[in-house]
Amino acid sequence: MTDLAPGAAPAPVSLPDPTLGPGSTLAPKPVRFVLNWGRAYSLWVFNFGLACCAIEFIATSMARHDFIRLGVIPFAPGPRQADLMVVSGTVTDKMAPAIKRLYEQMPEPKYVISFGSCANSGGPYWDSYCVTKGVDQIIPVDVYVPGCPPRPEALLQGIVKLQEQIAGESLPQRYAQGSGQRDAASLRQPLIRPPEVTP
Amino acid sequence: MSETPATERAADLRAVTVGIGDGAAGFGHERGGGVDLATQDMVLNIGPQHPATHGVLRLRLTLDGERIVTCEPIVGYMHRGVEKLFEVRDYRQIIVLANRHDWLSAFGNELGVVMAVERMLGMEVPVRAIWIRTLLAELNRVLNHLMFMGSYPIELGAITPIFYAFRERETIQQVMEEVSGGRMHYMFNRVGGLKEDLPAGWLGRTSAAVAAVRSRLPQIEDLVFGNEIFRARTVGVGVLSPELIHAYGVSGPIARASGVDLDLRRDDPYLAYQELLDDGVLRIVTRSAGDCFARFDVLLEQVKVSLDVADACLTRLHELPQGPVNVRLPKILKAPEGSTYAWTENPLGINGYYLVSRGEKTPWRLKLRTASFNNISVLPQLLEGRVVADMVAILGSMFFVVGDVDK
Amino acid sequence: MTRLGSGLLAGLKVTWRNLVRRSVTQHYPDVKPELPPRSRGVIALQEENCTVCMLCARECPAWCIHIDSHKEVTPAEVEGGRDRSHNMLDRFAIDFSLCMYCSICIEVCPFDALHWSPEFEYAEHDITDLVHEKDRLREWMWTVPPPPALDPAGEEPKEIKAAEIAAAKRAAPPPPVDPAGPQ
Repeated sequence: MTDLAPGAAPAPVSLPDPTLGPGSTLAPKPVRFVLNWGRAYSLWVFNFGLACCAIEFIATSMARHDFIRLGVIPFAPGPRQADLMVVSGTVTDKMAPAIKRLYEQMPEPKYVISFGSCANSGGPYWDSYCVTKGVDQIIPVDVYVPGCPPRPEALLQGIVKLQEQIAGESLPQRYAQGSGQRDAASLRQPLIRPPEVTP
Repeated sequence: MSETPATERAADLRAVTVGIGDGAAGFGHERGGGVDLATQDMVLNIGPQHPATHGVLRLRLTLDGERIVTCEPIVGYMHRGVEKLFEVRDYRQIIVLANRHDWLSAFGNELGVVMAVERMLGMEVPVRAIWIRTLLAELNRVLNHLMFMGSYPIELGAITPIFYAFRERETIQQVMEEVSGGRMHYMFNRVGGLKEDLPAGWLGRTSAAVAAVRSRLPQIEDLVFGNEIFRARTVGVGVLSPELIHAYGVSGPIARASGVDLDLRRDDPYLAYQELLDDGVLRIVTRSAGDCFARFDVLLEQVKVSLDVADACLTRLHELPQGPVNVRLPKILKAPEGSTYAWTENPLGINGYYLVSRGEKTPWRLKLRTASFNNISVLPQLLEGRVVADMVAILGSMFFVVGDVDK
Repeated sequence: MTRLGSGLLAGLKVTWRNLVRRSVTQHYPDVKPELPPRSRGVIALQEENCTVCMLCARECPAWCIHIDSHKEVTPAEVEGGRDRSHNMLDRFAIDFSLCMYCSICIEVCPFDALHWSPEFEYAEHDITDLVHEKDRLREWMWTVPPPPALDPAGEEPKEIKAAEIAAAKRAAPPPPVDPAGPQ
């Protein structure tokens, strides 16, 4: 990653936050409702399968649990076509840059479900030297699903919870500063700052 | 992996295998037909997050056109340092982590750890516990193989089989959850036996589940084995020679598909496998072709054998006299000073556990020898000179779990 | 080679067979799954049973149990007796974002204060809400199913044996001389 090359990392520039144009705040409620309805029930999901939880994610997408019933479509060819990223499994420090990079490739509005103890906070590997203690250290997370690994129904519940959130949200609010969401610059900054070298 | 021999080999290989057809015979240049048209090697990164590599394995391929000149698997994206974490956990807590390095064969992993500790302590495990462990280990083997029987066709472009495979997985996971409480990570083994006894009626429900899976297995078999495309992409592809297997320490179904007849269940019997072997229930499945198709074939056959073994265990558990499933442990469990090496035939191959104790509550060192790591190390040899399209077929047929590679 | 289209027909046969068969899909948000009693979903706390012995917190491989307590002294009831001190539980919290669902805490609890409940519906928007304080842990107690009956071939649970001995002791007249009694 070019981001991490020592010496070459410029300070993060505060880029303008994504907006929906000046008219978005004026959109009447029914329009917002329809927009949110569309977003909530066609979540193209990108499975960031890392460990055990990925198997449970696959189980959720299979015939018995079948989350396509809830409008979650697991056929996103990549992050660029996805609305929802499910981080399922242990995030290691070696893997973290890739996760951040793929998250940045996703188009707005994007949602993240952290699936399982490892992704929530490091879980079983809380004292490991090479495990990132929670994926929320690198990308913002919308729903945390507890379990190790959580059962498929737990993921379904997490998805329902996310859909409730989407149904109730308005995008200007989502991108407003200080609304709990991190601003664009903080997301674009490199994970590890190279040490300051004085020539 | 040493760098130089691989590149030398690659250079030789290039001269031999990469041709540009008869039409180019007049051109003197070794590849590409003339100085102007000389091609350059392309380095292609596959992974760490890529649909063709289940799990986060990264492959760096050097390509000459469609041909793979060298392949370098870059591991470590899933390295969680469990061996270090083992050193600060007592033997019960280790089981929890041991579950998780090869998440498809959790029961097999915890079994290896407790067997090592039991050997250190010289502990006798009750008969009932031995048979229940054997049963659960075989059910776990079925679960593991079913996963690969679903995921391998998906890598070759057939989505359907995985739905069948997961239906069977759910059937078995249900009984596994009933007995242990977990769908994947059972945490049911303890040093000296099992956590608790079986629920009443569980044996009957397990028999039903085993019978259901056995009756529906032909559906997957027909879907996959009757498929011409599947055969075309796997038969004769990625032939692994016994020499390579010996050189790299490949084990498990992959080795047996090439005719290397090594199965610890027979060659170093643990649990109740000796008796099952004598009864003729446990058969060791081998194939001689050594290609992707043979590897898949071994997997399917092993599922059948494992279901038979599970049935035999169930019958035996019905006959066994009343007895405990665990032994009483001291409040603080300390393995005596010394070291031991326990190995088990995990679904993916030989898993070894080298346990060194200094007489503390925690091991001084617990080294894992994991099957997937060795199975993956042979990839560069196997992929050299193949086309990229075969890469997916070969990689998928190596049956590995990235957590098992990286620990 | 095989006849043209035979593969297609074979495929359609599979499709037809699955079309008329009942589907295996479970309709989760509408129909709750039936889970076995041992299913490890969430940990419930029977607060009254907890004596703040800290065994669970110490044995937890993830150190996800937080316990705070203070001592309370009850003055002696009779003259010249000793004051009794009790541990009072102030805080009992389990961080389910760290918990690895291994059931060690439940195993080591000497007074059966912790139990597994198969409930799994507690995904949160905010990770700090995954720390369940004792009120919430107590609420889970209502969802704890009774443990399953054990296999008849298994050893009798030691609780039953102990209860039988105790019952026999109570039924029998107290031993006349030896105050210590049989073991």
